[in-house]
Amino acid sequence: MRLAIHHDTTYRYAERVRASIQYLRLTPQNSARQRVLDWQLDLPESARAQRDGHGNILHVLTLDEPHQAIVIGAHGQVEIDESCESESDPVSPLPYLRCTGLTTADAALREFAAQVCGARRDRAALIELMAALHRRMPFSPGVTEVETTAAEAFALGLGVCQDHTHVFLACARSLGIPARYVSGYLCTAGSPQLASHAWAEVWIDGAWYSFDVTNQLTRPERHIKLAVGLDYLDACPVRGMRRGGQEQMHAQVQSAPLLQNQLPSQEQ
Amino acid sequence: MVRSTYDEMYDAQGGCRAHYQAFARWLAATPSELVEQRRREADLLFHRAGITFTLYGDKQGTERLIPFDTIPRSIPASEWQQVERGCIQRVRALNMFLADLYHDQRIVKAGIIPAEQVLANEGYQLAMQGLDLPHDLYAHIAGVDLVRDGDGTYYVLEDNLRTPSGVSYMLENRKMMMRLFPELFAGQRIAPINHYPSLLLDTLKSASLVDNPSVVVLTPGRYNSAYFEHAFLAREMGVELVEGADLFVRDDRVYMRTTAGPQPVDVIYRRIDDAFLDPLAFNPDSMLGVPGLLSAYRSGKVILANAIGTGVADDKSVYPYVPEMIRFYLDEEPILANVPTWQCRKPAELSHVLANLEHLVVKETQGSGGYGMLVGPAASKAEIEAFRARLKANPAAYIAQPTLSLSTCPTFVESGIAPRHIDLRPFVLSGQQVRLVPGGLTRVALREGSLVVNSSQGGGTKDTWVVEDSTVASESREV
Repeated sequence: MRLAIHHDTTYRYAERVRASIQYLRLTPQNSARQRVLDWQLDLPESARAQRDGHGNILHVLTLDEPHQAIVIGAHGQVEIDESCESESDPVSPLPYLRCTGLTTADAALREFAAQVCGARRDRAALIELMAALHRRMPFSPGVTEVETTAAEAFALGLGVCQDHTHVFLACARSLGIPARYVSGYLCTAGSPQLASHAWAEVWIDGAWYSFDVTNQLTRPERHIKLAVGLDYLDACPVRGMRRGGQEQMHAQVQSAPLLQNQLPSQEQ
Repeated sequence: MVRSTYDEMYDAQGGCRAHYQAFARWLAATPSELVEQRRREADLLFHRAGITFTLYGDKQGTERLIPFDTIPRSIPASEWQQVERGCIQRVRALNMFLADLYHDQRIVKAGIIPAEQVLANEGYQLAMQGLDLPHDLYAHIAGVDLVRDGDGTYYVLEDNLRTPSGVSYMLENRKMMMRLFPELFAGQRIAPINHYPSLLLDTLKSASLVDNPSVVVLTPGRYNSAYFEHAFLAREMGVELVEGADLFVRDDRVYMRTTAGPQPVDVIYRRIDDAFLDPLAFNPDSMLGVPGLLSAYRSGKVILANAIGTGVADDKSVYPYVPEMIRFYLDEEPILANVPTWQCRKPAELSHVLANLEHLVVKETQGSGGYGMLVGPAASKAEIEAFRARLKANPAAYIAQPTLSLSTCPTFVESGIAPRHIDLRPFVLSGQQVRLVPGGLTRVALREGSLVVNSSQGGGTKDTWVVEDSTVASESREV
């Protein structure tokens, strides 16, 4: 399936910003599952691409001139191989066993994972875990924040894709299974909706398998992968700091991108 | 291990060791009132110089004077040569380990260290994976903590490869001793150490591939316990002391804001932990770091000393493998011994530890500064039981070691002069060569019987002498 993406994000600031710097992870890469036909970033200044420690393509956007808004555009076409179930990787998955502040499993999470999976560590067990988690944490926007941790979201029993993914990662890692955060786009079938989305990849039998907890999918057919990481903070599309009028730095992390222009996804 | 105590000055028969005889003669010949008066003078001078440190957990954030003891710790030069060779060997192997770990991982593939032990370790930084550093150097500055057991054998207690501190006390202690007791230095040959700042600057400059690179010291600021040292080293090296807000990144380069406009920075001697270096890459709440620093670093446009991700090599759970690293990378036998270590993550070793808590020292694998540790023989029943619960809840976070007796050195205490336990931290600089100034920082546990020398736990310091050998040949011994 070929997906066309047009994604503009606009940041407006109440007061004039003197300078800002952003780490952008908005460029998909070729893999067994996705082929990038063309891709372009529209940025207010040119930004050189580099790779981060996870292998993602990272652009660093620095703005030295005072500004009150930043518009970041990403567009292109990506071909998805829907039959692709998993992706191999020559790099060791073991670093993805590590917990971060956002993905630390507390006693409740560990117990939940252990109850569902018992001694099983296979894909079937993780699919059950995904289903059980979704029942336990129905999708509910507006309840959690970007800073909400896996343990907090699980205790609330509510959350969005980011929370689902964090909780799932915490569970998998507590079972000794490497798991990582994926940030990307989801094109919903039959709808012009395009959304920034998050799901998990779990290392089973020598390859990464996808688990979209929010949509209960194990084969991401309409998902375009942008970046991976230990958690949201590692993989998120835009992470920036700005220097405001009072010489104060404000952490500003994109929570839900403003979609100003969307094209329907096209099927071939 | 023998449970007797080795005293640095006196042998088992109470005789003064050869390398301490000049000092002992001086002490006997000097009126005690004079020594006492100069000790008070030392306290006053340290206060005036502002040589203090902040104690964490102290609600007032009180700055305290680290007690300075005027009886030096003395090491015969022949003995020092062994220690020096051992430290150089160890730090070379640790740097090779880090380069290997962040590239081919040969040591893991060879089955010498379990992959999970290092790759899933909190100190392992994905940001370093595959990144090439000039000269393959990661720990430009290392502090190797050494102790001596009952028979005088030196043991490495831990390797500090992140931001080891204490070198300013080493330098100030020497200055103080030379000022108070110049006659001691006239009477015998004591190896100089005052060239440390120039060696450090040389090491930092050689870490960069740029000609005549510009160097800065990056401090978390005045509330950090080691702020005095950051300011001291910057001043001694003649380079700028900066905080995160003084630096910024543009087009992958790091600049310092100055009244004369932005000045490029090539080497950052950073005294900030990895997690706080770049709020866009690590802890987003960090106000101490520089946004964009990681991207500049990964582009090779700036050197960080030490590199990011050295913590995986000085983690206490990786420590037991250092002798194997030396054999693997250098094809040499370790010159300095490791303390036997039980890894609590292994069930069999955990049960041994749980059954012997009252005899052992138990430490957090990620801990430092003497916090979060149990010294079994000195702990109450209740403390041992509380620790047992923590250990059972998370065994992988702990290692255990036998309680070493730690050598003693005569020290001024309220009742006069009495033996107190000491350790030694030499500072190892890795540039084009691996170098040390003779000696290091000697820390002393001032409470009678205490084995915890950390300044945060009530330890003091001593000047450390490496004394030339001609008079002490009979005393030289292999370590």
